[in-house]
Amino acid sequence: MLDSINADFTSSFWGLYVAGLVTISLLVCVLILVLNMTSRETGAPQVQAHTWDETLQEYNNPLPKWWLYLFWGTLVFAVVYLAVFPGYGTANDDRGARAEYAKETEKFQQVFDKYAKVDVAALAQQPEAVATGKRLFLTYCIQCHGSNAKGSPGFPDLTDNDWLYGGEADTVKTSILEGRAGVMNAFGAVLSGDEIKDVANYVRSLSGLSADAARVQRGEAVFAANCTVCHGPDGKGAASMGAAFAALGAPNLTDNVWLYGNSEAKIIEGVTRGRNFDNRSLKNAMPAWGEFLGEGKVTLLAAYVHSLSQKK
Amino acid sequence: MAQSNKHEAIERNVFFLIVLTLLAVSVGGLVEIVPLFFQTSTTTAVDDKGNKLDVKPYDPVRLVGRDIYIREGCYNCHSQMIRPFRAETERYGHFSVAGEFIYDHPFQWGSKRTGPDLARVGGRYTSEWHRTHLINPRDVVEESNMPAFPWLNRPADFSDVQDKMRALRQVGVPYSDEEIRTADATIKAYQNEELGGIAPTELDALIAYLQGLGTALRNVR
Ligand code: HEC
Ligand code: HEC
Ligand code: HEC
Repeated sequence: MLDSINADFTSSFWGLYVAGLVTISLLVCVLILVLNMTSRETGAPQVQAHTWDETLQEYNNPLPKWWLYLFWGTLVFAVVYLAVFPGYGTANDDRGARAEYAKETEKFQQVFDKYAKVDVAALAQQPEAVATGKRLFLTYCIQCHGSNAKGSPGFPDLTDNDWLYGGEADTVKTSILEGRAGVMNAFGAVLSGDEIKDVANYVRSLSGLSADAARVQRGEAVFAANCTVCHGPDGKGAASMGAAFAALGAPNLTDNVWLYGNSEAKIIEGVTRGRNFDNRSLKNAMPAWGEFLGEGKVTLLAAYVHSLSQKK
Repeated sequence: MAQSNKHEAIERNVFFLIVLTLLAVSVGGLVEIVPLFFQTSTTTAVDDKGNKLDVKPYDPVRLVGRDIYIREGCYNCHSQMIRPFRAETERYGHFSVAGEFIYDHPFQWGSKRTGPDLARVGGRYTSEWHRTHLINPRDVVEESNMPAFPWLNRPADFSDVQDKMRALRQVGVPYSDEEIRTADATIKAYQNEELGGIAPTELDALIAYLQGLGTALRNVR
């Protein structure tokens, strides 16, 4: 909130305007009450002078006293409220609300901050921390990875101990903290349609899926020439070539675990357009959460994610 | 007549009664609404502490996306108004401030949350995610009861975007003549840079709109 509400107005007139209207309307209410107060007369209520529709007449019945006092009560309440809140004109005070908000935020921040530098693998052994991590996961991650963390096409399963970037506790933490965006070249411009179909069949054969034998044979050469730099010489994924390569994120193509689907058409589409490569390729990424969540929450999340594949 | 009958004067004169009624009901608005039009924090792009915010009028692609958002009734299930409560700022980010909505005519604050608030959804998910999710939410969020919008995968209509910009200028959005004249070029540039030359579909326009929501106050609480 701005420090002074007066400074927020384009001119100091508005303070007077608000105060003036409030005062006038209060006074008018008082005036109306005073002018219309009549005391109840004894005997039968009087009939008013006018007659509508030939025979229709009205009694003139003043309000009961207690009702009248309620009116006065609202006026007194208004004045007291304006003074105590305070809300008269530009008088402004949040009555400590902002300070309280800051204090609460600080309190919860500390709860999470103390996890920031804790070892993730150790934390994954603490049921309480894992439970907190799970709640955080349900708030921030299920849109992509699913409430059971089993993912969906394009969004990896986090429970299967098959990792794009490696499953060490700290690697998982880095994935969450800094985000990930695996890049694969678009081969549409480099390879012919036939070559792509060949290599797609070869890739399917790696997981033991049905594939055209002649194409598999030709595809093997295409794979060796174009794909092994990232997916590894035997297609077991970047992480299989050592930790230094894990950051490439190229998945293991031999395990029948698929990020985007195992149909020939899906594989051809991916290889042709590439991933996160140019403006024609399929773009998909893991957002970076460090800045938004802070390291403490990220560590708890990493502990939860890590624990998922440790159970088996 | 012993009793005072001043109210009779009002009751017997319909015109006078109407004038007094209007005066009485307008006091609240005059005191609580009118001054808002003369406050810096409600009429310029500043946050709750008075810092400048980077809020720009919707570019032509987002503008069309916004109209699709309205046409499809997304506001029936999604609000765009994060309240200053911890539970909300934890999930969505910094609470909404008036300065973020100065170019929204009409604003999409909404009043019902069947789904989550979208005021700061910009940049939170990838465009691919939005595409999958809008075509069939169940493909990514198994439990979702959000309807699928598969028909949005058709070319967006940009033919009247210049008229829309002119209309918005009438209500105070500062589009320059230049911006309106080059609207088509802006859309073409978007098409080439973001979509690899393929003409934007309604999905693309809607996603462009969503990806711009609330980004002026990102990553702060
Ligand atoms: C916008 C969708 C999206 C959201 C939200 C999201 N992720 Fe991801 N995540 C992805 C994608 C896509 C990948 C794969 C990245 C790639 O292929 O390069 C991924 C990868 C990961 C990985 C690495 C997996 C591996 O095999 O190495 C981890 C760990 C992870 N996410 C955890 C999380 C956590 C924890 C959250 C919540 C804070 C989260 N993700 C939220 C989309 C998302
Ligand atoms: C520059 C490194 C790189 C090269 C070269 C490369 N890939 Fe990839 N590939 C990746 C990455 C990274 C991913 C994961 C993309 C993602 O996470 O979004 C991937 C994903 C894939 C997938 C999808 C796997 C799944 O689980 O759905 C297939 C299939 C694939 N690559 C095949 C190939 C083939 C065939 C070639 C050679 C023609 C090739 N790749 C060359 C990096 C590469
Ligand atoms: C019937 C109500 C309903 C309608 C109409 C609806 N949604 Fe949703 N939306 C939901 C629900 C419920 C969720 C939460 C589950 C999910 O993510 O699918 C959601 C989630 C979302 C999310 C993810 C938000 C987040 O932070 O996780 C986005 C973005 C979204 N909707 C966009 C749209 C758009 C754009 C439209 C209009 C084309 C729309 N929705 C129409 C109910 C609705």
